[in-house]
Amino acid sequence: MLRASAACEAVGIPSSSLVCEGFIRQAAATSVGLGMPNIPVALVPGHVGAQGKEELRRNILEVTVERVIANLTRGPAATQESLEPVAREIIFRGDFKAVNRYFVENELSDGLPIVPPTREEVEAFLRFTDRGPDEVLGVLLPDSRAATVWSIAVNGVMAGCHPEYMPILVALIEAMCDPDYGVEHSGNTPGGDTLIILNGPIIKQLGFNYTQGALRDGFLPNTSVGRFWRLYLRNVAGFLPHKNDKATFGNTWRVVLAENEDALARIGWEPTSVEMGFNAGENTVTIARYTGGGSFSSVSGSGPEQMLPYLADSVLKYHTWHMTFTVSHGMGSLRPLLVLTPLISETIAKGGWSKRDVKRYLFEHCRMPAWEFERYLRDWTIRGVWNLEEDVRLGRIPKIFYESDDPNRRVPIVWEPDDYMIAVSGDPLRNNAYVFAHNGFLGYPVGKQIRLPRDWERLLAEARNLEIGESRASD
Amino acid sequence: MFNGGTETQYEVLWPRSQRQTRFKSLAPRLETLEGKTVAQLWDYMFRGDEVFALLEEGLKARFPGVRFVSWREFGSTHGANEREFVAALPQRLMGLGVDAAISGMGC
Repeated sequence: MLRASAACEAVGIPSSSLVCEGFIRQAAATSVGLGMPNIPVALVPGHVGAQGKEELRRNILEVTVERVIANLTRGPAATQESLEPVAREIIFRGDFKAVNRYFVENELSDGLPIVPPTREEVEAFLRFTDRGPDEVLGVLLPDSRAATVWSIAVNGVMAGCHPEYMPILVALIEAMCDPDYGVEHSGNTPGGDTLIILNGPIIKQLGFNYTQGALRDGFLPNTSVGRFWRLYLRNVAGFLPHKNDKATFGNTWRVVLAENEDALARIGWEPTSVEMGFNAGENTVTIARYTGGGSFSSVSGSGPEQMLPYLADSVLKYHTWHMTFTVSHGMGSLRPLLVLTPLISETIAKGGWSKRDVKRYLFEHCRMPAWEFERYLRDWTIRGVWNLEEDVRLGRIPKIFYESDDPNRRVPIVWEPDDYMIAVSGDPLRNNAYVFAHNGFLGYPVGKQIRLPRDWERLLAEARNLEIGESRASD
Repeated sequence: MFNGGTETQYEVLWPRSQRQTRFKSLAPRLETLEGKTVAQLWDYMFRGDEVFALLEEGLKARFPGVRFVSWREFGSTHGANEREFVAALPQRLMGLGVDAAISGMGC
């Protein structure tokens, strides 16, 4: 909304942006990143989603109209850019507690203690990439800051990562910069968080957990890389709570989900990296944002025929308002993720089912009556302008969404089978599963290759020797 | 890292990076909305259709000669194609002879 306004202002067309009361601070923060900190906004009192027609009418006619007129006819307040530090600048000197107090007070930390990012620590990280420290991987909205290799190293240190994780961190920020991902939406109100899926030999090389306890903190690589993601979103992209991060309910960062590639190889299913267009065996990261979902227990049976009905039922039940990403403004960007344990995937595969077969099954069985689908969008979430009949007639959405005018006809929640994603991880000997409810184009799946430095093996061996030495020294 | 006494002392670096945008001037404001053409830009969310209808009513009461280009003309400003939409917007507005724009809904 503000980005459209900024585009108008840039070509000499004055704008007024309509902003509900609870979003004024977000608008102020976002406008700085757009380079127009004084872009005018018109207050809409309260929130339109909880007002009757009369209350809305009163608010708009008595308050908002005047603000719009003022926005378009009165000169805005003057602004002045504030000075900031530069890369490599030492911003504070002190002991561990003082450093951490400084970082919290200046909104540079997530509230947990950080590892002090000293030059020595940062340079240790930089040894693990062939890219130059000042190389810019992209510009991240909403703050419009450069995603530099240097800043990746600084935040990696802070998160408690080891230097050898640096190739993963660089790949992650490449993914964050990819326009298809849509990082600029990371502060939207449903408060989704990014899940990182890791593939390739690097899982074992760096000791990522990919078995029992997947998605649980307690494993340094999985946990610290997940924390790095959130710190980078905060410090470089600019998503600070009460400002650009408008999550109504957020949650702590997600730890990295590493796939069990041994289990996948045994049953002949391709890993997520292959689904994302890479070759099997390549080191890759895949990111996507999810607003919810959860675990479901005891997927029982001796084959796919017994297990799949429960899996499909659970995928469907975890997706409700998310239909807004199926039609309406989301337009086919919903990509639900189902995580199966090796035990479940092996039991399904024993029945001769490929991953593609499972996706086809989900596409055909995760369906709801058209009247219920429409109710989510029309009555419960008042999502904009859409019409299944018209959208099909105009070729905007697949025909399957309007094959008849029967309100009880069953419609899918995605456009095609390949919109489903399936990963394998977790306790190898338990038959539980996990579904992630996706956030559509506000965090669309993106994959990137992890590029290792030329002398990776030597550097890794040195890092391990150093860790062993430090461990002995502390004994 | 340096030893400035009994506690280990740290010299720490800035975790942010340089902003890539400089502050820009806003468009000159209009003297009046009378006789002007105002574009309605909507992200197709949060009752913007009702809000724009009310704004039209309120603004026409004050400026009978104001004209509007409906949000229907533009389509949603938000969605999977937002970047392309925003990039093409200035040309579309100028082609329509728009003098000012109202953009919603930030909710």
